Amino acid sequence: METAQLTGTRPAEVVRTQGLHRLLVAAIVALLFAGGGFLLHSEAQGEVIALLAAFVAIFVFAERLSAGRRAIALCRAHPGTVNLAAAVSVLAIAAVLREEHYTLLMMATVALFATAAAGLTLQMAFAGVPNFAGAGFFAIGAYVPAVLGGTGIPHLVVLLIAGCAAALLGLAILLPVLRTRGHYAALVTIAFGLLLRSFLEVNDVLGGPQGMKVPAFSLFGLSFARITEIGPYDVSFYLPYALAGCALFALAFFVVRRLETSFVGLAFDAVRSDEVAASVFGLSIARWKATAFLIGNAMIGVAGALYGMMNGFVNPNSANFGDSLIMLSILVLGGFGNLWGAVVASVVILVIPEKLQAIQEYRLVIFALLVIAILRFRPSGLMPRATRDLSALAMGGQR
Amino acid sequence: MSPLLACSGLTMRFGGLTALDSLDIAVGTGETVGLVGPNGSGKTTFFNVLTGLYRPSEGAVRFEASDLFGRSPQEISRAGVARTFQRSRLMLDQTVFDNIALGALGRVDLGLLPALVFRSRFRRDLSALVEKATALTRRFNPHIAASLFKPAGSFTMIDRRRIEICRALIGGPRLLLLDEPSAGMTHEETRHLMDDLLAFREEMPDLAIVLVEHEMDVIRRISDRCVVLNFGRKIFEGAFDALLADPDVQTAYLGGSQ
Ligand SMILES: Nc1ncnc2c1ncn2[C@@H]1O[C@H](COP(=O)(O)OP(=O)(O)O)[C@@H](O)[C@H]1O
Ligand SMILES: [Mg+2]
Repeated sequence: METAQLTGTRPAEVVRTQGLHRLLVAAIVALLFAGGGFLLHSEAQGEVIALLAAFVAIFVFAERLSAGRRAIALCRAHPGTVNLAAAVSVLAIAAVLREEHYTLLMMATVALFATAAAGLTLQMAFAGVPNFAGAGFFAIGAYVPAVLGGTGIPHLVVLLIAGCAAALLGLAILLPVLRTRGHYAALVTIAFGLLLRSFLEVNDVLGGPQGMKVPAFSLFGLSFARITEIGPYDVSFYLPYALAGCALFALAFFVVRRLETSFVGLAFDAVRSDEVAASVFGLSIARWKATAFLIGNAMIGVAGALYGMMNGFVNPNSANFGDSLIMLSILVLGGFGNLWGAVVASVVILVIPEKLQAIQEYRLVIFALLVIAILRFRPSGLMPRATRDLSALAMGGQR
Repeated sequence: MSPLLACSGLTMRFGGLTALDSLDIAVGTGETVGLVGPNGSGKTTFFNVLTGLYRPSEGAVRFEASDLFGRSPQEISRAGVARTFQRSRLMLDQTVFDNIALGALGRVDLGLLPALVFRSRFRRDLSALVEKATALTRRFNPHIAASLFKPAGSFTMIDRRRIEICRALIGGPRLLLLDEPSAGMTHEETRHLMDDLLAFREEMPDLAIVLVEHEMDVIRRISDRCVVLNFGRKIFEGAFDALLADPDVQTAYLGGSQ
């Protein structure tokens, strides 16, 4: 029936429905981002609670009502529109809130943690390599501009070096991580994180327990610290960081999505789901786990470098185990393997406790309960990863 | 002419247990060998050793001109050996295509650059692979070909077996090892699967197959030669007609203890 109708439709109408669908998707995304922007900005307890309630309601109804399910399917069918609408929304939010220090700081923080979560996604959700030292690699990234920031090396290059440094130091535990399995590999990464922290604490060159100052990021000679106005507008010192953070996340998103929808993604998934089948069909388990571990740590390192430059300092405590767990909770809560889920979860975990004074003291307890509840009632996370469907890509390749 | 696969004195010990006991087994190009034996006689172990999952304790394994003794599963796969598993090993939450494509990943460019930057190249390879998977699955069940992008878990047991066989075939192996492909199927389903396999064989005359199977009917219909294992030892080798009459085989199957 439906196919008959579709084939009977004239191209012009198909184009029009497609256009309408895109518009609808863009509207949904814009609305969600607008709500998110409000949440980031709002200080009034009543407003925050009302917004949260609205989000929970949208979330629940999106899956319970057929209209909601159709909206989700529509968004999944037009990923390009989603990405574009998201980018435009972020720019719009940044433009409106250009002077709000605290809101922009939080926006940048969410973007950079989501970038780190993208790295962890490659490692854990795709290739199945545990990494319980996310904050460690993040901190390694931040120490690099602390050391190199004043040397005259262009800061874009410093970011690259930070990524390489995180990847290289990750090499130190690559062998034990590859040789051990499951819990043991996880323990190796935990041990690495603890060792790193102790090393940073006793190492005087890196500032010991006090840590180091990190210079502000500067792009083509223009220091972010000196940006106080753009054209006729006064802007916050955090605006460029919020934009740079979002750009970095966009880049990480691009890399992760392209890898996922490629033969590399197939290899990652095969290695994670069934090492025996993967090896029998010729995949090298070590090669793919190492690839994911290195690229993932590089992403975390770059995000950490920018985070350090935004904060202006880094110390051994940046590499603490609790923060690594927070990064993991972002993955678990958002949905293993879904980067939009990681964004939502970053907001939930990093922003909401700041907003709700009532829960601030209990934030760790609440995270723990939240993660337990998710694992119990919705193990694939708030926004589960969609089954990869390569059919559209394959069709394009025939032409 | 030398055979495609030649194992001699192949032995696999697990601690004190000898699961394979100086096996001499040869398989020629295009030949189908039926491998039978009671449960625990070492059939699956033989496959695991052949595909490099277990490192054999002693013996020699030659495949064409190369020595495969103690090689890694990856090297053995590259040489042209593919298999199915007694207990289905599909990734159920991934599409049929993704599962089948695993069998061909050794033959495509797995570099990061085609994945990230030069996508047109990847898309061409992908289209070719989708076409191949469609043609292959259509032969076994047109329904699978029509639902290539549905999760493998949404298919029946028998279709999953078919998908597993397609995954093993798509890389164009020289030797195919089938470990009880009909386990858990009805007679009718088994007959179907074997018909499909025989039809496929016609088109790939060079493909050698070793088939582990309990149903004697199937073995009779499909195999050129039979090998019987018992306690890891080869107790019979020859034509099917001679198999049932063989006294050693009868004792093994009728519960004769050693
Ligand atoms: N990994 C292993 N470790 C120890 N014993 C094993 C292992 N794999 C197989 N065996 C033993 O080897 C023997 C042969 O098993 P198997 O090859 O599975 O038999 P079949 O496939 O013919 O039923 C059995 O006694 C089994 O318990
Ligand atoms: Mg068996």
